[in-house]
Amino acid sequence: MLLRLPPSLHYPITVTSLLKQPGDAVERDEALFWYVYQTTVTEGDGLGNKIEVKRKFPTKFESTVDGEVVQWKIAKGDVIDEPVDVLEVDEPCAHEVQFGGLCAECGKDMTESSYNTEVADVMRAPIQMAHDNTALTVSAREATRVEEDAKRRLLSNRKLSLVVDLDQTIIHATVDPTVGEWMQDKENPNYQALSDVRAFQLVDDGPGMRGCWYYVKLRPGLESFLQNVSEMFELHIYTMGTRAYAQHIASIIDPDRSLFGDRILSRDESGSLTAKNLHRLFPVDTKMVVIIDDRGDVWRWSPNLIKVSPYDFFVGIGDINSSFLPKKQELGPPSKPGEKPAPKPTKGALEEHHVNGATAKTDEQSEVSTLEQLVTMGGGDNPRLLQEQSDAQEETIMHQVEDRPLLQKQRELDAEDDAAESSDTSSSMDDSQDLSKHRHHLLEDNDRELFDLEVRLEQVHRDFFDEYDRRRSRALGGRVAALRGEKVPSKEKDVDLKLVPDVKDIMPHIKRRILGGVVLVFSGVLPLGTDTQNADISLWAKSFGVVIASKINVRTTHLVAGRNRTAKVREATRYPKIKIVTTQWLLDCLIQWKRLAEEPYLLPVHPDDRGEPISPGSKELAESSWLSSSDDATGDSLADDEEATEDILKSAGMDQMSPIGYDEEQQAAVHEELKEFLGSDDESESDSDVSMVDEMGASKKRKREDGDGSGDEETDSAGEEGDVPGSRLAQRIKRSYERSTGLKEMASAGTEASTAASTTPDEPDEASALQGPAESSPVDPAEVDPAEEDDELEREMLAAFEDGDYNSEAEEQIANENG
Amino acid sequence: MFFLKEEIKVITLHPSYFGPNMREYLINRLNEEEEGRCTGDHFVICVMDMVDIGEGRVLPGSGQAEYTIKYRAIIWKPFRGETVDAIVTSVKPTGIFTLAGPLSVFIARKNIPSDIKWEPNTVPPQYTDHADQVIEKGTSLRLKILGVKPDVAAINAIGTIKEDYLGPL
Repeated sequence: MLLRLPPSLHYPITVTSLLKQPGDAVERDEALFWYVYQTTVTEGDGLGNKIEVKRKFPTKFESTVDGEVVQWKIAKGDVIDEPVDVLEVDEPCAHEVQFGGLCAECGKDMTESSYNTEVADVMRAPIQMAHDNTALTVSAREATRVEEDAKRRLLSNRKLSLVVDLDQTIIHATVDPTVGEWMQDKENPNYQALSDVRAFQLVDDGPGMRGCWYYVKLRPGLESFLQNVSEMFELHIYTMGTRAYAQHIASIIDPDRSLFGDRILSRDESGSLTAKNLHRLFPVDTKMVVIIDDRGDVWRWSPNLIKVSPYDFFVGIGDINSSFLPKKQELGPPSKPGEKPAPKPTKGALEEHHVNGATAKTDEQSEVSTLEQLVTMGGGDNPRLLQEQSDAQEETIMHQVEDRPLLQKQRELDAEDDAAESSDTSSSMDDSQDLSKHRHHLLEDNDRELFDLEVRLEQVHRDFFDEYDRRRSRALGGRVAALRGEKVPSKEKDVDLKLVPDVKDIMPHIKRRILGGVVLVFSGVLPLGTDTQNADISLWAKSFGVVIASKINVRTTHLVAGRNRTAKVREATRYPKIKIVTTQWLLDCLIQWKRLAEEPYLLPVHPDDRGEPISPGSKELAESSWLSSSDDATGDSLADDEEATEDILKSAGMDQMSPIGYDEEQQAAVHEELKEFLGSDDESESDSDVSMVDEMGASKKRKREDGDGSGDEETDSAGEEGDVPGSRLAQRIKRSYERSTGLKEMASAGTEASTAASTTPDEPDEASALQGPAESSPVDPAEVDPAEEDDELEREMLAAFEDGDYNSEAEEQIANENG
Repeated sequence: MFFLKEEIKVITLHPSYFGPNMREYLINRLNEEEEGRCTGDHFVICVMDMVDIGEGRVLPGSGQAEYTIKYRAIIWKPFRGETVDAIVTSVKPTGIFTLAGPLSVFIARKNIPSDIKWEPNTVPPQYTDHADQVIEKGTSLRLKILGVKPDVAAINAIGTIKEDYLGPL
């Protein structure tokens, strides 16, 4: 090692004598040479006068390292004006591998420092290299050496490295105890799908989560996927779960540790709770690394990444380990590949209930409702303040354990099933969450992503080694010609690290071809105010060669519409070249790495939209989708209100998932809850709310809301008396849902009334009951003035809440009544 | 090296524990809190006996009682140059991680005999001289401690097996 003078010396200095000769041993802080420097000092002359004089001071220079002197770079008498190298010292140990502050090779303490220390010894080995240990650090040189060894080995085995994410990529985990119960219950409709769910208990999981059971569903085809892929790749796990969690999962998916070995990196060792960094595992270069993950943002859309569609088996749970990550930008969750291209007439989503639900609709947005909304409710939605995140993680877990989102969903589903059986009109009227109407169990086991993924990984692997072979044969040929007769070292013949192509070039090359030349415009896909260039889907699409434009012009080739009948859709119809497709087309292309035919995904353009100005009425219908045909004045005005709020929320930059901003799915949830609530009221006290709503209109909303709020809080506290006082999140979610209800309630009540009136003429009783104040209903008490009625309502609600929860039978009835 | 060391611990006791079983309770508390503890300097292996429990003193204001207990415990303080037996927890291209009881010891590649080489292609990966010496996860090793560094509540050590009579057992 070369010793260099520090810049802090008082230059110029004159070397007066060298104290060590080549071959001598030096220790740290031992003097190496004497020098003199000159400076001005103030001295007294003994008579009280102060004079400035120039003085020379001799000083010795001390060694900062141990070792043996090899060679002096300076000589006696030299005048040195600036920092130069003075001495070459041969160190016995360069401290290139350190463990917990000790040099792992010589055992010296690396954290020692003195006045003489320029660079702390710990800085000589700054790189963490081991997957499962943060105490071990190595120097850049050591890291390169280790990595090159690894690369040689991989190349000779014709393998690449594959970094695998766990949650929602190859498995889906939940802590909802409902799963355990369902697994025991052979009668349960979900029993079949849960047959291969594995469970384990984490004990050391921090306070408040003692002994929590985790249920893990492996993505279909995982075993063969891992087996096949491990022949082409060396597998690493990189997860945001804790170490214990990762170990448990690893022992489930790889019991004999033949696939992953101990190449497991968890958030305990990651060094960052918000992002994943490839350099943590491959500090020197990432040429031969491929990543599979369901989140692109945590990798900052690294070119090594293959983004997979998130695996969402436990509907609504999301990623239980994502609390620390930046919030996911939601777009329509990708459909299961198996069922995607064919239109599903029965599968009505929220958006499709307008006009008359009996008419078969195409698949435009059928997937966007329940799943996404549940992701929002379940795990994805957490406060993201750093100091709260850990709590949030805990709360998410607690929330799941206590609230059992799966059980709730299944109950709703059952109720809907019953409703569907008992009433044939219900299918057209049920404007809540009948996404899964044709299913009778909540959990679906039909994911095909891994099979596609395997093909894509094969392709990357093949292209990589094709390129490598091409380069090598070219290089070998050239070298043979140039160095004829000379023997090429055998090792070099095998693998030549200089010739290794870069996955970062190869993957984009493959991907760019797929959607190259596509110029996209989004419409109704991203919330207003989002940066269209940097949204997740945009970045993802761009990595496939897509150009994202914000305005439609002649260069545009595709309009990706999240909703029908937007201004951009109308504009796009003027260009015959532009294909108007659903978001699903783009997602499927990105997931399957294929430019799919647009035809199955074409958005049916409303005839009114073709070049003509649209009538406000029809626009209303299309955009406030769940609002059924209503020429009723109240309904319309309320719908306007509804839309206005939506716009305000969006334009205020409120996020879809923040507790106060609602997207349509959440509205649906609110709506559903509300319906039950109204239903219970209906049962006990006929239809007072509906009538009141119609009667009172906007002026009443505020009061109603207040009433709701107080009622809720009481129930909350009543319900949680016995519970652990935790679960703040749950409370907040609940409350925020309830608080908003005023407006929605109006709208829905109005809708129900009107739809009931218009579509069920054969049920006069119900219709009249719902229709409100005009027909006086049998149970309705005598006319009361608004304020009184309001108070009464409040009392009723309190009573209803305190009576205890309505049983499932009541729920069914309600469901029937509401249609 | 193991020592029998006399130490002092102050335990405060809530008034609800005042009663006939107070002594047992104090002993339990002491065992729970002390055994297995790492002070950064040494590990407390086992509390042997109480020399003196002393007289409790009620703290003014809180009503809690404070006991100053003198006890003897077996402690282990790892020293540089000490030879210990350890179990391999994982092997890496940079070296071997082992546990000697509560102490984690790392053996760098440089401190492994040069004939024992890193062999990543086996399952699980191992260090081997392609004869009878195989070091993989779970192997017992005899190693010599080269350096010890106290941390807040742990001790890190590095070791070597590059000397006579060291290595897999």
